[in-house]
Amino acid sequence: MSAFPGRWVSESAVAGTTTVDVASRSAVDMDGETDVALADVQGAALAIMRNVESVIDGKHSAVQIALTVLLAEGHLLIEDVPGVGKTMLAKALAKSVDCSVSRIQFTPDLLPSDVTGVSIYNQAERRFEFKPGAIFANIVIGDEINRASPKTQSALLECMEERQVTVDGHSYPLARPFAVVATQNPIEMEGTYALPEAQRDRFMARISMGYPDPASELSMLDSRDLTSPLSRIDAVVTGAQLRGMMSAARSVFASGAVKEYAVAVVRATRDDRDLRLGASPRATLQLIRAAKAQAALHGREYVLPDDIDSLAVAVLGHRLVPTTRALGHRSQDSAVLIEETVRRILAATPVPTGSQGRL
Amino acid sequence: MTRTRVVRWPLTLALLVLLMTGCTALGAVLSGSAWWLVLLIVAGVVLVGAAGLRHAGVHSALVPLLSTGGLVVLLTLFFGGGTGLLWLIPTGDTFERFTDLATAGVRSIQTQGTPAQVLDGIMFLLAVGVGLLSILMDLLAIGLARPALAGIPALVPVAVPGFVVSAGADWVALVATAAAYLLLLRIDVHLRGMQVNRQAGGRGAGITGVAGAVRGAITIGAFGIVGSLVFSLSAPVISGGSFGSQPNSALFGAGVSQMIELGQDLRRPQAGPALHYRTTATEQPYLALLTLDDIKGTSWLPRPVEVDEDRTVDSIANPPGLAQRVARTEVTTVVTIDGVNVERLPVPVPAKRVDNLTGDWFWSEGTRAITSTDSTTTGQRYVVTSLELQPTREQLRESGGRYPVAVEPSLFLPMGTPAVVGETARTVSQGTESNYDAAVAIQDYLRGNDFTYDTEAPVDDDYDGGGADVIATFLDVKRGYCVHFASAMALMSRSLGIPARIVLGYLPGTRTTTVIDGQNRYDVDSHDLHAWPELYFVGVGWVPFEPTPGRGTVPEYASPESTIVNGVPSTGGAPSVVPRQNENPGLEGGTADTLAAAEDELPGTLARVGLVAAAVLLLLLAPGVWRLLRRQRRRRLLAAGRAGAVLGWRELTDTAVDHGVEVYDTLTARELADSIRDRPGVGDTPRAREALERMLVATEQARYARPDGPAQTRGAGFLDDLDVVVQALRQGSGAAQRARALIFPASLTSTALRRMGLAAGTPE
Repeated sequence: MSAFPGRWVSESAVAGTTTVDVASRSAVDMDGETDVALADVQGAALAIMRNVESVIDGKHSAVQIALTVLLAEGHLLIEDVPGVGKTMLAKALAKSVDCSVSRIQFTPDLLPSDVTGVSIYNQAERRFEFKPGAIFANIVIGDEINRASPKTQSALLECMEERQVTVDGHSYPLARPFAVVATQNPIEMEGTYALPEAQRDRFMARISMGYPDPASELSMLDSRDLTSPLSRIDAVVTGAQLRGMMSAARSVFASGAVKEYAVAVVRATRDDRDLRLGASPRATLQLIRAAKAQAALHGREYVLPDDIDSLAVAVLGHRLVPTTRALGHRSQDSAVLIEETVRRILAATPVPTGSQGRL
Repeated sequence: MTRTRVVRWPLTLALLVLLMTGCTALGAVLSGSAWWLVLLIVAGVVLVGAAGLRHAGVHSALVPLLSTGGLVVLLTLFFGGGTGLLWLIPTGDTFERFTDLATAGVRSIQTQGTPAQVLDGIMFLLAVGVGLLSILMDLLAIGLARPALAGIPALVPVAVPGFVVSAGADWVALVATAAAYLLLLRIDVHLRGMQVNRQAGGRGAGITGVAGAVRGAITIGAFGIVGSLVFSLSAPVISGGSFGSQPNSALFGAGVSQMIELGQDLRRPQAGPALHYRTTATEQPYLALLTLDDIKGTSWLPRPVEVDEDRTVDSIANPPGLAQRVARTEVTTVVTIDGVNVERLPVPVPAKRVDNLTGDWFWSEGTRAITSTDSTTTGQRYVVTSLELQPTREQLRESGGRYPVAVEPSLFLPMGTPAVVGETARTVSQGTESNYDAAVAIQDYLRGNDFTYDTEAPVDDDYDGGGADVIATFLDVKRGYCVHFASAMALMSRSLGIPARIVLGYLPGTRTTTVIDGQNRYDVDSHDLHAWPELYFVGVGWVPFEPTPGRGTVPEYASPESTIVNGVPSTGGAPSVVPRQNENPGLEGGTADTLAAAEDELPGTLARVGLVAAAVLLLLLAPGVWRLLRRQRRRRLLAAGRAGAVLGWRELTDTAVDHGVEVYDTLTARELADSIRDRPGVGDTPRAREALERMLVATEQARYARPDGPAQTRGAGFLDDLDVVVQALRQGSGAAQRARALIFPASLTSTALRRMGLAAGTPE
C-alpha cells in the first residue's frame, strides 16, 4: 500500500484495533472551495463514476446512488453479504477524490474514543492535548459497522449528525466534506448488533450491492488476479472541487410540485398498512437533497419527480419497519418487502404537474 | 398495456343493471310490467352470453357477431312461434314471421296512445332493440374497454318517453339510470385500479369517495334530463296514435274523458293511419264508433254496453223511429283497418249488417255500437251494408208528437247547466217555427264567422271537454274543436226540448286516386277523428248535424236552402271535405299509383326510424367530433404561440391514450414518454424518438424548472414535434386501433373521469 503514502490504511487491519491513517489531519483545514458550474458537475461526476466503475463491474445504479449521496453531503450505508464489493465501492469512491480518508474496522471491542479521539495529558506542556480519532477525515469508511458495540455505534452516529466532536467540554468541528460510508452485513448474520432505527435514520441512503452478473464476475477474476484494482485508479477531483460540486448541487431548484410529491410519498409510508414505522420528516429533507444532487449529476437545474422515484427506495428503505404481520404473511425478506412496498406507494401516488403546468 | 383477457363479470352485471334501469323509463309509455321481465331475459342472455364467450377465450372481435347470432336464436325461441328448427334455429318462415311482427309492431306503436298495450309486435320490437343495445353496450364497455360510452345506448330507452309524451322522461327513472351509470363507472375504476396494482405488484390505489360520486351523479343526471327535454321538444312524436286500448275498458282508457282523449289525438303533430274504405254511397259516410248521451259532471259518457248474444251483426234492426216514408238507399262499404285497435267497429250508420269479420261481434239496441267479446279491430277487413237516409226538410219540419221512452233521457240537461246555454239557444232560434229550423239555426250559428276551429285554445285556457260548464266558456270564447261544437249543439238543442246526443267516430277522410271496382279508396287517419251531434225527430229518428266549422260535410237536409247549387252543399265557403293540414302533396297531385298509395305509411315510418337512428348515430359520433375539435383548438393555440410545451404534451398524452397507451396520474412525464417510446412506430423511428425527447424535456422544464429561469420556447416548434410523434404513434397502431382512436377517443372519458375524481390513482 505504499503507493498511497499517508493516505490509506493497510488492508491488514486487525479486529479490535483501530488502524487509522492520521497523516492528513490537515483535512480539517481544507476549507477552500472551487466554483463549479452546474454544467461541469455532470462532467466531474462522470469522471468519478468512470473511475469507480473501472474497479467495480456492473453496479452502475449502486455507484450512481453512492455518488449522489456524496454530492448531497449525506452518509451512505452499504448493506450486503460479505464479499460482494461493499468496501471496494467505498474505497474506490474515496480514492477518486483527492482528500483525506480514514477507515475504521468496527469490532465488538472498539471503544468510542477510538472513533472520536481522546484528550491526553501532555506532561511536558502540563496540559491536556486532544488526539483526534479516526472520524477526523473527509471520507470515513466504517467497515462492518454493525459488529461494533452499540456504545461505539452511537458515538459515530452522533458525529455524523452534528459534524463535530465534543470531548471534555471542547468541540472540535469535522472536515468538510465529511462523509461516512459504512458497510454492514445483513442483520440476520451472526455476531452483529443491529443499528437501531434512530441511528439508521442518520444515513441518507442505504444501498445493497447484490451479486454481480456472470460476465462481471468473470472479468473480475481476470482484473483482480494479480493486483488490487484500486492501485490502478487515481483521484479525479480535488477536495475543493468536490465542495464546489456540493454547493452547485445544493443550488438545484426543487419546485413546489416536486416537494409536494416528496411529501406525499413520505406521508404515504406512514399510513401504509404493511409498515409499522414510516419515514421521518428528516427523510423528506434528505430525499429532496438527494434528488437535487441527482439532478446536478445529470446536469439538470431542476428536480424531476423521476428523481424522487429513482431515489425513494434507497433513501427511505432503511428507515421503514414492516409489520410482523406483513412479514409473516409474505414470508419474505424484510428488505425485499420494503422495496416492494415503496414501489407500490410510488405507483399509487399521483404526480403533481405544478401550477405552471396549466398551459 | 396489452389488454389481458380479463373477464369482467362485475362490469357485465353493471351493464345489465344500467340497461334495465334505463328500460324502466319505458313504463311511462307502456302498460303492464311483464315486458320488462322479457327484456331482462333478453338483455341478460345477451350480456352474460358475451361475457361467457370472452371467458371461453373467444377473440373479442367475434363476440359481437356471435352475440347477434345468439340474439336471433333467442328471438326465434320467443317469437318464432315454433317456426324454427327445434324452436331455436331460424328458418325462412321465422324471418317472415319476424317481418310480420315488426310491421304489426310499427303499426301498433303508431296507432296506440299512451300507455300502450304491449302486444306481440311491440314486444318483438322492444326485444330486438334491447338485444341490439345490449350487444352495443357490451362492445363499447368490454370489447373496446370504454365503459363510460355505454351510457349513450343506455340513454336510448330513457329518451323514448321524451319522444312520445311531451312531459319527457320520468325523473325517478332518470335518476336511477344515472345512479346505475355511476355504479358502472365505479366498478370500472375499481377493476382498473386492481389492474394498476397488479402491475405495481401491490395493493390499493386510493380512489375517491362520496364527493366525486355526487358530482358525477349530478353531471350525468343533468345530461339525461337535458337530453330528454331536447328530445321531447324537437323530435317528432312517434305515436301517431288513435285510442288508448286497455283490454277491458269500454273503448277508451278507463276514467279518462273520451272527448279529451280525442282532442289529444287531434293535436298530435303527425297523424297515424286508421283505416281505409271504399263505398257505393253517393255521399262519403261518417264512420261512427260510439254514441254518448249521458252527461255526468263535465263529461259525456256512453251508455253501458249490454251485450246480447242474439244480436249478431249479420242482421241489425232498423234504427228506432225510422218511418217508412224516409227515402233510403242500401249501400255497401268495404272497410280495411290499418291502425285502430279497439273493440268497437267503425261503421257507417245506420248499419244493417256487417260481414267478413273475424271473432264474435254484436250490436246493441241503445247506442247501436258494434262491439266484440273476443276480438278487436286489428287486422279486420269487413263489408258493411248500411242505409243512406235522405230525409227531406219537409219531413223533418213536420216531425212532431211524443218522444219514445227510450229517447227521453236524451232530453236531460245536467243540474247547474249555466243559463247562457239556454239563453244563447233561444236567441239563436228566435223566430223559427219548428225544431228542425231551430236546429239548423243553431248549426248555422256555430258554423258562422264568430266561431273559430282551434284544437289548442281549449287546452291552453283550460276548458277542454264537453261538460256544461265548459260549453258556457266555449260560447264565450268561441274557440274550440269538434267536441265543443258538437257538445254545444247537443246541449243547446236539449235546452230547446230536442233530444240530442253525441257520436264519436271518423270523418269520411281523404279521397285517393286508387280506384277499385270503380270506387275510389278513401284514407282515414287519426286526424279524422270527429264528434258530431245527432238530434231526434219523431218519424225520422236520429239525424246527424255538422256544427263544426271547416270540418266534415253538412248534410243536405241541414244545409241552408238558398245555397244549394247542383246538390253540392256549401256554407260560408267552407269546402265540403277539408284537406288535412299535413296532407301528402304527392297524393293530391293525382300521379301517385296504387303502390305508392298503399305504401304511403311506410316512408313516414322509415323517416321516423331513420331519425332515431340518426340521433343515436350522432350521439355515438359526438365523442370523435369533440376530440377533433379539441385537437384543432390546441393546435391553433400552439401554432399561434399562445401555448407552450405543456399543452403540446397534453395533446400528445391524449393521443397516446386514444391509441391504447395506458396513462395514469401516477406516471411521471418521463415514464409516460417511455411508454410512448415502447410503441411500435415511435421507438424505431429516430426522428420521432428525438422529437419525443425534445417535447419531454420542454414539458419537464415548463413544469418543474425555476419559473424565472430561461424562457421556454413556445409555439410552432412544439407543433412540428407533436406532429412527428403523433404520426409515428398512428403508424405504429393497427387499423382497428386507429379507427377506435378516431371514433371513440379514450382520452375524453379518461379526462372526464379524472375531473369527476373517478379515475384510478386519484388521491383521497
